[in-house]
Amino acid sequence: MAESVPQSAGRADETPARTASRWWSGLRTRRHDRYTLAPLLLISSNLALFLLFFLWPAVIGLGYSFTSYTGVGSAPFVGLDNYQRLLSDDAFYAALVRTLIFTAAVVPLTYVASLSAAVLIVNPYSRGKPVARVIFFVPWLISPIIAGVIWRWIFGENFGLVNYVIIALGGEAVPWQSNADLSLIIVIIAAAWGNTAVNMLMFVAAIKNVPAAYYEAASLDGAGSWAKFRHITLPSIAPTSFIVILLTTLHSMKEYALIQAVNAGGPGTENNLLIQYIFTTGFRRAQIGYASAASFVLMLLLMIIAITQLVINRRKDS
Amino acid sequence: MTTSATTRGRLMRWRWLPVTVAAALALTACGSSSDGDSGGGSGGGSGAKSITFWLSASAAQAQGYHDLAKEFEAKEGVKVEIVNVPYDGYQDKLRQAAQANSLPDAASVPSLDTIWINQLQDLGATANAPANKINKDLLTVQDGKVLCIPSDLTAAGLFVNKSLFEKAKVDIPADPDKAWTWDEFLAAATKVRTATNAKYDLVYDQSPARIRAFIYGHGGKGFQLGPDNKYATPDDATVQALSKFASLNDDKVMPKSVWGAGADPNALFKSGQVVAYFSGVWQVADFAESITDFDWASAPTPVGTIHATDINLGGKVVAFNNGDKADPAKKWVDHIFQPANYTKLAQVNGYLPVESGLTLNYPFKNKAALDAFQLYLKEIELADPISSYGHQSGTKLLLAGKSSIQDDPTKVEMAKLINGQQDVKKTVDNIVSGLNQQIG
Amino acid sequence: MDNLLPKKVWATAALWFMVALYGVPVLWFLLSSVKPAGELFSYPLTLFPKQPTISGFTQAWTSFDFSRYFGNTLVVAVSATLITIVTSATCGYALAKYTNWWLRAFTICILATTMLPGEVILSPLFLIVRDLGLYNSLAGVVAPSVITATGTFLFRQFFLSVPRDLLDAARIDGSGELSIFVRIMLPLSRPIIMTLAIMSFQWRWNDYIWPLVILNDPNEFTLQIGVASIVGAENVNWSVLLGASVLSMIPLVVIYLIFQKYVMNADLSAGLKD
Repeated sequence: MAESVPQSAGRADETPARTASRWWSGLRTRRHDRYTLAPLLLISSNLALFLLFFLWPAVIGLGYSFTSYTGVGSAPFVGLDNYQRLLSDDAFYAALVRTLIFTAAVVPLTYVASLSAAVLIVNPYSRGKPVARVIFFVPWLISPIIAGVIWRWIFGENFGLVNYVIIALGGEAVPWQSNADLSLIIVIIAAAWGNTAVNMLMFVAAIKNVPAAYYEAASLDGAGSWAKFRHITLPSIAPTSFIVILLTTLHSMKEYALIQAVNAGGPGTENNLLIQYIFTTGFRRAQIGYASAASFVLMLLLMIIAITQLVINRRKDS
Repeated sequence: MTTSATTRGRLMRWRWLPVTVAAALALTACGSSSDGDSGGGSGGGSGAKSITFWLSASAAQAQGYHDLAKEFEAKEGVKVEIVNVPYDGYQDKLRQAAQANSLPDAASVPSLDTIWINQLQDLGATANAPANKINKDLLTVQDGKVLCIPSDLTAAGLFVNKSLFEKAKVDIPADPDKAWTWDEFLAAATKVRTATNAKYDLVYDQSPARIRAFIYGHGGKGFQLGPDNKYATPDDATVQALSKFASLNDDKVMPKSVWGAGADPNALFKSGQVVAYFSGVWQVADFAESITDFDWASAPTPVGTIHATDINLGGKVVAFNNGDKADPAKKWVDHIFQPANYTKLAQVNGYLPVESGLTLNYPFKNKAALDAFQLYLKEIELADPISSYGHQSGTKLLLAGKSSIQDDPTKVEMAKLINGQQDVKKTVDNIVSGLNQQIG
Repeated sequence: MDNLLPKKVWATAALWFMVALYGVPVLWFLLSSVKPAGELFSYPLTLFPKQPTISGFTQAWTSFDFSRYFGNTLVVAVSATLITIVTSATCGYALAKYTNWWLRAFTICILATTMLPGEVILSPLFLIVRDLGLYNSLAGVVAPSVITATGTFLFRQFFLSVPRDLLDAARIDGSGELSIFVRIMLPLSRPIIMTLAIMSFQWRWNDYIWPLVILNDPNEFTLQIGVASIVGAENVNWSVLLGASVLSMIPLVVIYLIFQKYVMNADLSAGLKD
């Protein structure tokens, strides 16, 4: 209460009109300070990094996409040629479709797997959590090249573990590598396996953040475990679910190293995803211009996906 | 109100956080600025008492250079700092280093790059010194200037599972002079497979270079550059050879997974369930160490009307023009190729030599490995000149100022043929157009 | 109390089912690292080594300057992680708690940083880093990697869930915006800080192509450059590579276990939601 005394004393000296105008302008500048300067300051470091290390190089890359630059020497301007060539290339559409299938499978699988892992790891009733915690985490640390050799050892067509078991049980060897769809399934499994840990970490933090009082109240009402999960946990971690889905989608659309290691986009070129396509027809053939054009088309696609998800999410919230 | 009170209570424990972060930031900032000053192998000119040499090799193969560097320092008073750069990304690194004026003083590189080719020194004095006896066909020469000298040769070749052959009582030709033809070899392999219950006759590296040996062995000339420096449609024998090769991927002679889906043939051969493996000399050291379940051996490359395989260059040794380090760099390269030194290098590293008239005693303890090297040396002597066409066409394109072939379409197009997605004519057309598209 | 037992059984069974699924590849990886090279691809398949050996580890340790590269990587990972946390927390907070058209636009911009293949900007980025004088320094490795969409969004989503009342109460109390963030919001986000620390540490620890291109002096090389040098053009020495991989991930597991404990034991939620 003491703090307000000088203020009211000051106000007494002034005419009501002056007070009002000063009050109004003071509020405006203060609001301006508060709600413009503060966030600007808060984002300033990321903004500077963004401009310097992303926007600037990206604009140069965008420039390349209108040229026939090969990485050496001059970059002759070719207008929209690269984009036209890209949009009339069947291989591009084949890769796009394959990428969408891959993403549509990996995202739900990763979501369910990482949420289950997180729930079980914070569950007070499960036993053996210290071991599980490490086992779930390690796949995320394994480099793609090692992941490739692991999954080929398990799903190798010729001497792999799974076929070994199938043959031992009297079955016939399954062409895990030379059948395009089976081969894609292996990569989907490998991707979900490797990506679980990072999403699990986000879920663990989110679940731990749900007030225990909610569960206690629900217990008193006689709610079962599933009901608690469905009506308390899931709604409470919705913001985290949103970023897990969004980031996994973006990541899956750009998957490269893992596929390269597991089946190199094979058999043949059948499982070439978009980044594989960009590499094999662009960067590795010294067609920087074309590769850049393809990259920006990919970016546009991802942008549409991201903005759609953001909009849907906001609708749901409000 | 209770809320903010509890929050504030908790704040006490977290007071340190901003302080720690700030301190850490300050620390890293200091750390990195001093890092920046100390770096730069080729930046300062301190009388050129040391030079940098980049290469990409296994620890075992880098050893030969470390040994030579010690002698060089003792002799010339110049320290050679050897940097082992991973193969994956080496080309990128060189390109970026060129843009930052930070190229090494000398290097052994996988291939020359037009972006820095004008910064190379002439190695003619070393390459053409009569005492060195370096095979002149292996050099890259532009306007009389020798740009690089290969550190070694690599050759494609056949490995067999000797234990399986012995079990099936099938002979392996001992001498490349009396090599088997492809049909004789395949018949022998099938005999061994059926007699021993092995899984496959052969696994074959999924590589455009290795398949050349198969084409040459079937009388084809492969994909050749025309006079206009464009790849021309290959001869019929080549087309037939590719067609035959594809038909061998029937999951009996060869597993479909290698050429069809990129499985690792090295691992398949090591299972002991495959009769033979077509790869190259670089496998010898690996097999000597990591095949313990069965006996292996190098066998003569199957031949056709001519005796041919695919011969390629190992690392290409270059010296860059870096101010006062240019001279010692050149001296270092000369030091490497002096016959006495080069002999030591080739022995330690297991190199097939680029110099003739050397007596090499490879220090392998493994008998199969020693025999393998003797066999490869003989194969190279016997090899028809076409065996070197692959690397020569690359050099030709480079000197004509064309882009090099970074991504040979052979692998992908052959996979489509093997998987029945296209016929052999389309395959050949796609390879030719894919190659031509890249050279621009 | 009697209904607790079936719960324990179910939860434990489900947990171990998942552990088995995730563990088989991990087990192969760990056991193969102690196999001699000759056993790695032998047939019939074996999971357990017949003659266990640590030669893969010793060869990996001696094939490059392991301890020095280790130290360099530690400097990179620790400093990048600290800076990443600061920038992500501040930015995520701003995006969550202020509404402005340019903040919404910047949200999209942050996401955009994950949308381009690295190769498109590799060359231009290299020139920028070079012109800033960061070539061949660990700072040049750290600086471009600090901005991360995952980190920023992790904080943004967290702060979205912090009730507005808390913020308004502090404002009425007369606290400045920045002091609210530092004194109230940042401490609340401790689980997120820990989570991002684990993630960021792993990212930077496993970075490869950028450090390779930026660093010239082998004394500054990072661990992954050493590990990659085991993979040759035509050959991979699998037993050494497996040994090196196991060694290089030990610090990550240690960091994870330490930091994870803080997330698991976090009990901040009590005063948060109501």
